[in-house]
Amino acid sequence: MTKPYEPGGPSAAIRHREQELARTFVMLADSLVEDYDIVDLLDRLAAACVRLLGVTAAGLLLDDQQGRLAVIASSSEETRLLEIFQLQNDEGPCLECVRTGAAVVSADLDADRVRWPLFASFAMKAGFRSVVALPLRLREQTIGGLNLFDDRAVLVSPDDQRLAQALADVATIGILQQRSAHRSTMLAEHLQRALNSRVIIEQAKGVLAERNGMSMEAAFDSLRLYARDQNVKLTDLAFTVVHDDFNLAFLKGQPPAT
Amino acid sequence: MLAQGPTEGAERSKHICQLCAQLLGVTGAGISMVTATGNRGVVCATDEVSARIEDLQFTLGEGACVEAVKGGVPVMVNDLHEPGDVAVERWPAFMEGAAAAGVRAVFALPLRIGVISVGALDLYRDLPGKLTTGQLSAALTAANAAAVALLQLGTGYANPFADDTDGRAAYQMQVHQASGMVKIQAGVTIDEAFLMLRAHAFATGRSVADIAKDVVGRRLRLPTEDR
Repeated sequence: MTKPYEPGGPSAAIRHREQELARTFVMLADSLVEDYDIVDLLDRLAAACVRLLGVTAAGLLLDDQQGRLAVIASSSEETRLLEIFQLQNDEGPCLECVRTGAAVVSADLDADRVRWPLFASFAMKAGFRSVVALPLRLREQTIGGLNLFDDRAVLVSPDDQRLAQALADVATIGILQQRSAHRSTMLAEHLQRALNSRVIIEQAKGVLAERNGMSMEAAFDSLRLYARDQNVKLTDLAFTVVHDDFNLAFLKGQPPAT
Repeated sequence: MLAQGPTEGAERSKHICQLCAQLLGVTGAGISMVTATGNRGVVCATDEVSARIEDLQFTLGEGACVEAVKGGVPVMVNDLHEPGDVAVERWPAFMEGAAAAGVRAVFALPLRIGVISVGALDLYRDLPGKLTTGQLSAALTAANAAAVALLQLGTGYANPFADDTDGRAAYQMQVHQASGMVKIQAGVTIDEAFLMLRAHAFATGRSVADIAKDVVGRRLRLPTEDR
């Protein structure tokens, strides 16, 4: 899903992309060494997919170990997009990808209406024309999928697909490296912890949206900004908002005196 | 609508424990309630050893279930004699008491929906060995069902199981966003807000996801005067 090929050697655009790529991997590597927040990391990763691959939207879904896929991060909080992710519990490329452990590509959703009648028409109505689903793989097991959407009917280039798979692999590492009560990894624990984080963040968004009369997107932005600004974990902050009635209203104006 | 909530919740919890013992290759199962307000107690146990496991943790304030509730994630001790990578040294008295009662493996699953922590489901076996992937998956499903049953038991709402008996709505983002909104609108805790959504879904014959969508879209405010 790259821009059209430009003859005459590496253009400024390609150089820019390479710099962006290096920056992204440095950012991700930095995130992984600290006691990071998994939703924040995956959120950055989804945003990086959009920037680096030039797609319209990106999202990460995790297998909840009970046969369902749950959205854990998304490049946009737009309801329509979230619904498309959720819809894939019934049918769609991400479901197929997680089941088979292999990449699933549709260069033109219009041509795949028979394959996924519900998903294709819903996604097209939301303005998307092509989709790529890549597995989050841990050895033989698939723990989720990275979903990329484009508003053009385009086939992902092999290079872009490799890059996207590398980003998906970073997501897998991030999920498995979370600090845990067990000394070695237990997959169910990691997945449940990540999914719980997302649930708490959604609850906090609702609290802030209602209290401050803002949209869910704005509520999420204020949470994210505050967490990064104050160097606290997104999930911890969300927990405080939901449980201790901590209000972020001041974010619209001045930060609080501490 | 409030009347039969607790009874139904207790029945469901018992049924869930029995199903776990029958289907998950474990010797027994028990459920304890642990709420944020400090309320705690044994809800049910399938046999004497299970009851002993729950009692031990209640008395000692430590153990696999306590750890699971605290951390919000499952704690699996596949073999009490060789706990391997689980940090069991944090609960020595529990380990000793459980082993003396004939427990060889214990699996504690937190009962929670997002930040709502309501308790734990404890499974035990008199032989060592871990749960298979299929058993673990079934245990997590049982824990979901038990969490809802306990919420109902704890708050006295009759539970609208009209939809999403498989707990699917638990992972739908808008349901959680709506819970947060209702919490502010009605001035209740997040778990009460979630139950209000379910109760409204039940009363109107719609799905929780549908109700949540309308709340988030600001087309619906839940009536709060009857609370």
